[in-house]
Amino acid sequence: MKSIKIDRTSRTPEIEFDFDNSVFAIRGESYPENVVEFYGPLISELENYFSNLGAGASIEFDFDWVYFNSSTAKVVMSLFESLERVARHGANTTVCWYYDADNDMMKENGEEFAEELTGAKFVLIEKGK
Amino acid sequence: MLAKSFYMIRNNLHEFGIIFAYSGYVTEPILTGLADALKTKLLIDSTDKKTARNVFSIFIEQMQNVIRYSAETSPPDSKPGTELRYGVMAIGYEREKYFIVCGNKVKQQDVPRLKASLSEIRQLDKDGLRALYNAKLRAPTDPEGKGAGLGFIEIARRSSQVIDFDFLAIDDDLAFFCLKAFV
Repeated sequence: MKSIKIDRTSRTPEIEFDFDNSVFAIRGESYPENVVEFYGPLISELENYFSNLGAGASIEFDFDWVYFNSSTAKVVMSLFESLERVARHGANTTVCWYYDADNDMMKENGEEFAEELTGAKFVLIEKGK
Repeated sequence: MLAKSFYMIRNNLHEFGIIFAYSGYVTEPILTGLADALKTKLLIDSTDKKTARNVFSIFIEQMQNVIRYSAETSPPDSKPGTELRYGVMAIGYEREKYFIVCGNKVKQQDVPRLKASLSEIRQLDKDGLRALYNAKLRAPTDPEGKGAGLGFIEIARRSSQVIDFDFLAIDDDLAFFCLKAFV
């Protein structure tokens, strides 16, 4: 599958989906004009990829947020649910949640989403000081 | 006379501690511009990062609520998705706190539902807000609404004190809804 690379804007995050190596990253700020328009196609691609995964595959999904609005939070939750489903089907799944050392709210948000994950592994990563 | 009367408006706003004020049709491009200006202002003021983040996120949630839900549209009775929505917002600094206040018209029929949601939110402490937020996050998305119902909770979570809200009846059909948050 062709990889997806979208540069960040002031309102939308950088997207780096490498389907061949099963490494996915979302980085930056997210308060798009239209959440469905921005994330809809990306989620379709991911669901398509996940449904065709062989057992024993290894996936890494990185979230490196500066800020996301409440509409984006819904999308993040659905991504966590998808990743958990994929893990339960046998994929070795790791979700990495990056946060700035001085941003405890972002750390807390990560921990809240992580409650969805029992099959998938969750890693909290503190950035810089 | 022109300069004098308009200068009075400027000074009145200053007296209220207002650093940003916008009254007009709120569109996403306008939100982009205001958001960029706010980011720069907070940076220039060396506002501490945590406060700046909270002020910014409350501002975004409030403005996106106006864009989605304001009952004052142009043109009136327009097709959903094509209308411009009117709102008033101000960001200021009073008694050593930032405040973000937003107002827009709403349908009278929506007032009870809004009052109920906001009253519930007002009564919750940090843990209660977190629990409600997490519950709403996992609930199915309301097919009628464009939002997740999370916006108000997010505003409350980011505030340093209980949110303030009020409704003013305008006529049989409409009320003016105002929400003020402090950081």
